[in-house]
Amino acid sequence: MSEYIPTIGVEVHLELKTNTKIFSDSINGYGEMANSLTNVIDLGYPGTLPTLNEEVINLAIRAATVLNCKIRKTMHFDRKNYFYPDIPKNYQITQARTPIGYDGYVEIEVGGEKKKVFIEEMHIEEDTCKSAHRGTKTLLDFNRAGVPLIEIVTKPCMKSGEEAKAYLEKLKEIMYYCDISDCKIEEGSMRADTNVSIRKNESDPFGTKAEIKNIGSISNVGKAIEKEIERQAKLYDNNETFKPQTRRFDDKLQDTVLMRIKETGNDYRYFPEPDIPYVILTDEIIEEARKKIPMLPDERKKIYVEKGVSELNAKKLIQNRSLSDYFNTLLEESINFKIASNMLLGDISAYLNKYEKTISETTLTQERFIELVKSYEDNIITSKNLKDILEIVLESDKSIKEIIKEQGIENISDDKEIRQLIKRIIEENKESVEDYKAGHDRAIKYLMGQVMKETKGKANPRIANEILVSELK
Amino acid sequence: MKEKLTEEEVLHVAKLARIKLSKEEIEKYQIELKELLNDVEKINEVENFDDDILIACWEENTELRKDKPGQMLEPKEVLENAPRHSGNYISVPVVISGGEGA
Repeated sequence: MSEYIPTIGVEVHLELKTNTKIFSDSINGYGEMANSLTNVIDLGYPGTLPTLNEEVINLAIRAATVLNCKIRKTMHFDRKNYFYPDIPKNYQITQARTPIGYDGYVEIEVGGEKKKVFIEEMHIEEDTCKSAHRGTKTLLDFNRAGVPLIEIVTKPCMKSGEEAKAYLEKLKEIMYYCDISDCKIEEGSMRADTNVSIRKNESDPFGTKAEIKNIGSISNVGKAIEKEIERQAKLYDNNETFKPQTRRFDDKLQDTVLMRIKETGNDYRYFPEPDIPYVILTDEIIEEARKKIPMLPDERKKIYVEKGVSELNAKKLIQNRSLSDYFNTLLEESINFKIASNMLLGDISAYLNKYEKTISETTLTQERFIELVKSYEDNIITSKNLKDILEIVLESDKSIKEIIKEQGIENISDDKEIRQLIKRIIEENKESVEDYKAGHDRAIKYLMGQVMKETKGKANPRIANEILVSELK
Repeated sequence: MKEKLTEEEVLHVAKLARIKLSKEEIEKYQIELKELLNDVEKINEVENFDDDILIACWEENTELRKDKPGQMLEPKEVLENAPRHSGNYISVPVVISGGEGA
């Protein structure tokens, strides 16, 4: 197969986290009984009129801002006309000519290199009803009809499935942190379509485009793109051509399959929606909406690393928003953040996963967590002690000091005391010392065993090990 | 300027509207639709045309609705207005070629 340069663009639909639908006051919900969350507007009954939900505008401003987009201050909606049972009024209300956001970018990192994915535009529209094909029937559920969406369209600026994947992961992270959408691909609140074409040289015009629709997971987006690049390359290699088309990714085949040859945009006969006058955004509206943007994942990661948290832990922390939010409340404190992050991501996360809880559902107040971190840092408790008392720490209101006392935890952390003991043990076990010096690592374990035996397990193992190693030198 | 649309153009519009046309109707619309288009074409003759004025009939801001839930329909009422239903779903003849929306 010859070498080609792929050109990839991605379109993402996100369902917005509002209480009600975009143009009606019925509930925006998921997983309810079919056709139980609708009213005459969602069903497109004649004579009904849309009223625009204020929160949709707020969330869209927030989204446009975090995508580094310019915001259009005077905008309107358009009708996209087509006949299909998923939209009984025969048009979808969307923003074809005046998208709320345009000219933005998202920064991604692939293989250690940073790159900007440019956003062409971001517009607001209504979702259609959900249809399921069953034999000779199509079943319709209008609970989804009128759910507010934003559609985010990138410029054709990506070069691999890997980049598209990184972009989607980043987008998901940002939108989730800003409470714009819950971004659940499996529930359809985040849906990705991608356009793929290839060409021989940068100076050639773009190749014929294939659109791959509704791919079920972010990793499949990567796979679908790579497969599609391969398919097109084979065709060109054999001097074949193909028409612009819409394909889908078949999970079982792990390949793209043809859905249809594409209709052109003109067939949608867009025209301005006469039922909704101009939407004019004042500076006050925009500022107010922006106030609710929290600290974004990239900034959090930067601060965590500055505070001494490892890169890996910083990454893991931001993958869990409730832990990251909790961690943020500690940033002004003077504690060892490395230990704090290890505790949160280690034993505490294990506990939370086991009992399916979030950190706010435990009794671990900031004050008690700080006390816990300090107790560990000051060698009052060991990591084994931590495991032993964790459930009590997370389920009671007792102070850490009280718990340590109640559980009879006393550790010998006094350097001098331990050093004296170790010197004696070295003296008494010359044979093991010789073994250690001859390169037998097992000998040090034996010596540590002696230390623990002498102290009845109360020597702080971390300190004892450090001293032992230094004394053996 | 040509006097009528081609047969293909009329059939294309008919397909978008999901209607069937007889041979006589096709011939009729080849002329009628072209006349309509010619009338609309006149707009293009206006100089310095600011097409923003066509978007809404007045320039006031639209009234936004608070994000508070209101009255919804009972599923029973929804289904009563549909020709066919299956369980709580509205049922229509299968359409597999499309899926245009969103």
